[in-house]
Amino acid sequence: MFIPIPFPSSVISMVLLFLLLLSKRVESRQLIDSSNFLLRNMSFLFIPAGVGIVQVFDKMKGHLFQIFTICIVSTILTFAVTAYTVKGAIWLRERIRSRGEEAC
Amino acid sequence: MKEWLSSPLFGIALCIAAFAVGVYIQKLLKTPLANPLAIAIALVIAVLNTFNISFEDFNQGGQIITMLLAPATAVLALSVYNQLDVLKKNFLPTVAGCLTGSVTAIVSVLLMCRFFGLDQTLTASLLPKSVTTPIAVVVSEQHGGLASITVAAVVITGVFGTIFAPLLTRLFRIGNPVATGVATGTSSHMGGTTAAIQMGEVEGAMSSIAIGIAGLITTLIALFL
Repeated sequence: MFIPIPFPSSVISMVLLFLLLLSKRVESRQLIDSSNFLLRNMSFLFIPAGVGIVQVFDKMKGHLFQIFTICIVSTILTFAVTAYTVKGAIWLRERIRSRGEEAC
Repeated sequence: MKEWLSSPLFGIALCIAAFAVGVYIQKLLKTPLANPLAIAIALVIAVLNTFNISFEDFNQGGQIITMLLAPATAVLALSVYNQLDVLKKNFLPTVAGCLTGSVTAIVSVLLMCRFFGLDQTLTASLLPKSVTTPIAVVVSEQHGGLASITVAAVVITGVFGTIFAPLLTRLFRIGNPVATGVATGTSSHMGGTTAAIQMGEVEGAMSSIAIGIAGLITTLIALFL
């Protein structure tokens, strides 16, 4: 309601919990048990959503192959570009840092 | 006689049983390709089809499980908090990675849709497939996409990420837990993050952060499309 762009409640709640942890209102040991349970079984929670795909097979008819190809190829590309960007940025930072030390 | 099928307990029990079989098969075969989630989805679909059970009946229980995804996402904050030092140290590289990754996701989908000659509705539906479902649906509908197809594309991407993130890490010789985590979260949101958590604490935390940052960046880019 207060945010001009659409942002999902689950991500907002993640930010809120993060702020509570930062402000020490909530201590991480209070959450350890329940969070470990949720984190370990997270993929289980995706089963109904995955089964739901069958529901839209009709709408995707004739394009099924294309849709799967697009999702998979684009995910691989995104993975590679992101990972190499992070590695490159870390490498660059280390270089700048070591140069700074040399200058001193 | 079929009343018990539309009880929420039926869907939940079916999911638990299917997932248990999936976990068992993975222990047996010891390969990431035998993914419990993928096996469970296939099993549930097979059961529903074989016994002519409607998706609506199954989803009485299914939607309760889906509902738990929200608190599970919130809990990712804890894994981020536990890795606060890593995040502080790598903040700029993380944002840079999420930015180039989100742009790659959008541009690659656009180009491939063009290549396959897909119409505007399908293109808009597939465009936000690398971000978490709630964001993806909003972005898709803004551009005239269909929410149901977007959800399907997001789930396909997530399941692919869950199964293949560890393999991609080795294939591209990433060898850096921060880069692996950010790449997993940016390319395949929550689905990939479940795999990242298994790979290590740093991977899980960075992947969780990437879901939020990539979601934000994608929303912003989509405003200008």
